[in-house]
Amino acid sequence: MSNNHHRWLLEQLPQWEREGLVSTDAARTLRERHAVDDSQPGAAQIVMGALGALLIGSGLIAIIGFNWDDFTRPVRLMFAFVPLLLTQLFSFRALQRGEATAAWVRETAALLQALATGACIALVSQIYNLGGEWPDFLFWWLLLSLPLVWVLRSSAVAIFYLIGIAVWSVAQVEHSRPWYDSPLLYPLLLLGLLPYWPGWKNKATLSLSVRWVMTLSAIFGLCSAAVFACDRSTTTGHGYYENCFFWLWTLTAAVLALFPLNPSCLDEPTRRKPQVVLGSLWLLGYGVAATFHGTSREILRGMPHALHLPWCWGLLTVLAAFLVLAFLRRRWAVLAIASISLLPVLMIPLYRPKAQPDGMLLSWLALLHLSAIGITLIVLEFAGKKGAPRLGATLLSVLIIARMADSDLSLLTKGVAFIGVGIAFLGFNILMGRMLKQKTAAPLPA
Amino acid sequence: MKTFPLIIFGIAALAQWAAPLSQIWTHEQVLAQGTLIRLKCQAPDPYDPLRGRYLAVRPVLREATLPAGLKLQKGMQVYALLTPGADGIATISALSLTPPADGAYIRLRAGYVYSDKASIEWPFDRFYVNEKLAPEADKWFAENIRGDKGITAEVRVLNGRAVLADLSLDGKPFREILKERAK
Repeated sequence: MSNNHHRWLLEQLPQWEREGLVSTDAARTLRERHAVDDSQPGAAQIVMGALGALLIGSGLIAIIGFNWDDFTRPVRLMFAFVPLLLTQLFSFRALQRGEATAAWVRETAALLQALATGACIALVSQIYNLGGEWPDFLFWWLLLSLPLVWVLRSSAVAIFYLIGIAVWSVAQVEHSRPWYDSPLLYPLLLLGLLPYWPGWKNKATLSLSVRWVMTLSAIFGLCSAAVFACDRSTTTGHGYYENCFFWLWTLTAAVLALFPLNPSCLDEPTRRKPQVVLGSLWLLGYGVAATFHGTSREILRGMPHALHLPWCWGLLTVLAAFLVLAFLRRRWAVLAIASISLLPVLMIPLYRPKAQPDGMLLSWLALLHLSAIGITLIVLEFAGKKGAPRLGATLLSVLIIARMADSDLSLLTKGVAFIGVGIAFLGFNILMGRMLKQKTAAPLPA
Repeated sequence: MKTFPLIIFGIAALAQWAAPLSQIWTHEQVLAQGTLIRLKCQAPDPYDPLRGRYLAVRPVLREATLPAGLKLQKGMQVYALLTPGADGIATISALSLTPPADGAYIRLRAGYVYSDKASIEWPFDRFYVNEKLAPEADKWFAENIRGDKGITAEVRVLNGRAVLADLSLDGKPFREILKERAK
């Protein structure tokens, strides 16, 4: 539950007590269990604080960008360092007051200091006509701003950092860069925010917005690293790098979906786990695509080249570790979906170096695997365990449609089959709706 | 108040000062003690959203001849010895992987290498100008860039580092010319 939900509940309790809906003891228990955590800023507070800081910071950068020709160099440098000093003092004061500082003040102080840092290095490079590309500037700005996330617990600077490292990584996907100036650095940059990861033993809950930005940043950053690793492979004579990174992206999605979570995070609803949602969506899409012979053939053509890359082995190692952890935590659904990424590996014993790979076997394997997942998700629900029947039914419907589209059957047969699948899907949906109604209407056991 | 966050904050604040100050220190040294080198250049007028208007400075000299035996690859650092010609404009007289024993030299990055030549990437590529002067600067460039005299980049060089100090036309500083034109 978010702070907004807790607040709503606490506002309702007095009325419920008066109406006799809850006893005094039950109300006290609810108050203790659903206490509002004021140390974490609300979304509105972050937005207001960040907006104010952004306006001031952007104004500062624009003034600095004007280039005051009439002033001497020391005077112009003062324009850079005085705002930095003032924002540092502001942040220090916020830090000194500790818990007494309102969350939005902390956010504003951190963001202002980050912007003043950027403005300062921008002005110095303007005064001395320094060359260099904007990603280099961004890189140093991000590194100098990162500690503010730790000490001031600033979500706004964390979001700025996450977006920044993703943008930097995408910009660095360029042939023949040295590894230390490439997206291969992204995992290290992300480690800078380790205390913020949802699986870390951090007492504070991570806001939904930071989780989503973190996941999207990881997707862009890690996928850029995969493309860069493939690009380098072309110089050593390996080809097919497009096919190569398609599989590497899938391994990345599996790593994200399986990212270790602590017990409290595991119990949260799925929408609070964007890495699981987005990772699973890619994996399921990849699985459906792999049911087509042509796609499977391309995947198999790329895989041997991917296996030449250290980046691929890095991903496989991390994936293996995460698979073990997920197994220990009994995350069966995510394990089943993530295993789709490893289907091509099962084809390695059949690999013949000079023969063109045939995608037939892999496409059938993908079809059977996805069908098994779809059926399991439905059966689990009917067996009284936690399943996802609607997702299972959707998956089966998509599979049938994909297979029909790929077949040589006449349009009439395809049309009839589509109508049949549509009716079955709608019927299943209605059935599930009724079952849910019955469940919620049933009296609680005494 | 907890000490650990304060220590981290102190280190961060110091780093935020140290990064620009180290740049200032290095570049002030080059400006004060460096040898003046003149390079003929070409430049249009682009814009940087963070640092304002600038003139993209591109020295005409874009490649150098490789001495026999020098194995150079794209992206490698190389030292270029600069020697002024009779017209005062510098040219690259030698390339080496180690700093030359004497003379004015710049540390550069090698671009594409082909037969006995290598393209070079200069360590400076922009000259910032006031937003008000920028349109006039743009016109000035368009009028003079193809002229016989050409526009000259004045670069201070010290221990391989280079700082673009000014632009000039026929020995006259760029800003003076612009201010006269603006009158």
